[in-house]
Amino acid sequence: MVPPEWYLLLSAAIFCIGLFGVLTRRDALYFLMSVELMMNAANINLVAFALYYGDLTGQVFALFVIALAAAEVAIGIGIILVLYRNFGETDVTVPREMRW
Amino acid sequence: MVEQLPEWAALAPALTLAFTGLALLLVDTIRPEARSNTSMAVTSALGALASLGFTVWFVVAGTGHADTGGAIYLFADAIKVDTMALFFTAIFASVTALVVVAAHDYFHDHESPAEFYSLVMFAATGMSLLAVANSLAIVFVALEMASLPSYALVAFLKRDRGSVEAGLKYFLVGAVSSAIFVFGISLVYAATGSLILGDVAEGIANLDGLTGVAGLGIVMMIGGVAFKTASVPFHFWAPEAYEGAPAPVSAFLSSASKAAGFVVAFRVFTEAFPVGASLSAGIDWVLAFGILAVVTMTLGNFAAVVQPNVKRMLAYSSVGHAGYALIGLAALSAGSAGNSSVMGAAMAHLLVYGFMNTGAFLFVAMAERWGVGRTFEDYAGLAKRAPIACTAMAVFMFSLAGLPPFAGFFSKYFLFMGAIDNGFVWLAAIGAINSVISLYYYSRVVKAMFLDDPSTPTALDTLDVKPTALYAAVVFAAVGTVLLLPGFGPVIETAEAAASALF
Repeated sequence: MVPPEWYLLLSAAIFCIGLFGVLTRRDALYFLMSVELMMNAANINLVAFALYYGDLTGQVFALFVIALAAAEVAIGIGIILVLYRNFGETDVTVPREMRW
Repeated sequence: MVEQLPEWAALAPALTLAFTGLALLLVDTIRPEARSNTSMAVTSALGALASLGFTVWFVVAGTGHADTGGAIYLFADAIKVDTMALFFTAIFASVTALVVVAAHDYFHDHESPAEFYSLVMFAATGMSLLAVANSLAIVFVALEMASLPSYALVAFLKRDRGSVEAGLKYFLVGAVSSAIFVFGISLVYAATGSLILGDVAEGIANLDGLTGVAGLGIVMMIGGVAFKTASVPFHFWAPEAYEGAPAPVSAFLSSASKAAGFVVAFRVFTEAFPVGASLSAGIDWVLAFGILAVVTMTLGNFAAVVQPNVKRMLAYSSVGHAGYALIGLAALSAGSAGNSSVMGAAMAHLLVYGFMNTGAFLFVAMAERWGVGRTFEDYAGLAKRAPIACTAMAVFMFSLAGLPPFAGFFSKYFLFMGAIDNGFVWLAAIGAINSVISLYYYSRVVKAMFLDDPSTPTALDTLDVKPTALYAAVVFAAVGTVLLLPGFGPVIETAEAAASALF
């Protein structure tokens, strides 16, 4: 069996790749993909430690997280669609109606 | 002996909200030709009031109270109905009722209002589920259930560039913070092996070597809470979302959604990561919340001072109030008897805040409906044309500032006194200084409305529009704020009893 620390390292690496994408990408669709990576990093932890502890809670919760991530993408795509209709781009730095 | 209700009936407030939302969608789908804004608004207001009725009934009857058999656990301990859950559900239901009544006038010419009302109902369902969550899985599911409709609500005016931009920014920050939150949950699960709050607490007490993992997880969960409550470091969506969103939605988010963030923070951090066990494991989340509270209230109040736009000023003031409520977590100490009074005071403050802040945003909604501008200057002389609404707004402003004869004063007073009694004089002092600063920008609104003259004599002619429902919602919020004055005794007692069950 693979030692559990390796799963922690893997998930932390994937989470950081996702976070890097969130911080550097300007296109909203890349942003969604990066957030998806961050959530799946959590899933790796949940599934790996469900196996480690021998209880199913983590695996079931991972299924919940997958479903919620899909729901979040659905809302996100909807907002990106109205963004494109109003501003003609999917670049998140373009809308500047309000100052930060 | 009166016959007992079945145990699942303890979820009646949440179920009422959920079924109202579903019924609205169903009727709108099968009979789109009979679509009527008024009937939708009345149905959702009745649903919210029924939910409020259930909550008040349960609180009075003592459901989930220690005297009547203790908290009710459902679904293998994943849900726990206690007094704190009912207390917060009462906040969500009252804010929802006020918001849907106000929305009747605000969306009077919108082509599909049913979506708005059902989204508000679903978000309120998510919030009331957050209040009863006793498992980190339910916490995350309910958090998303409250957040996803909120993103859509902020971007509801899909041809308005401001609304879409606000929705986008809210969604971007929300998606990242919920990803961080769920990663935090996964780390806590990795360290403790459970998602049920009570079992997590046992795991925290004997971590052997996994302190780093658990600590990182807890820090990440603080991030998720900070987003939902609009606190530093995830506060910067708040001014954008509140300014760009339709004003009833801003009212809903800044009152109900913020309270939802706090209920989950109060429950998770006291039950899953008890102060004593966390401190002995070397995880000092109390200090983390203390720093966040100070930075949040200072930043919110100083930023609010320089705003020319009333709605944006209210947005920053709501960030400041998140800082005050965070004192409820930041002023805890292991085993202290004063813990329940400071957290109870924070809960009472959120209830009072629910009325006064919703009312203030609904007044802005009314100003938008009238077509007067958004800046302080545009509000000049408003009191001559709309004396009742402006008096209500003055009540909200003074109560938000915490002036003595208003309910906002009592909740802040109990909060700061609780912090002092628990040995956190510095938190109370910074809170008091911030309250003084806030008096400046709140009184600017009152001065503009009552003392200044309108810039042009014709500037206020658009006030001939009479939004009756909005008027009623603003007046009800004002009556609620005033009635909390004599009613503050029972409120603070209920809140303290609810908080003492957590320690």
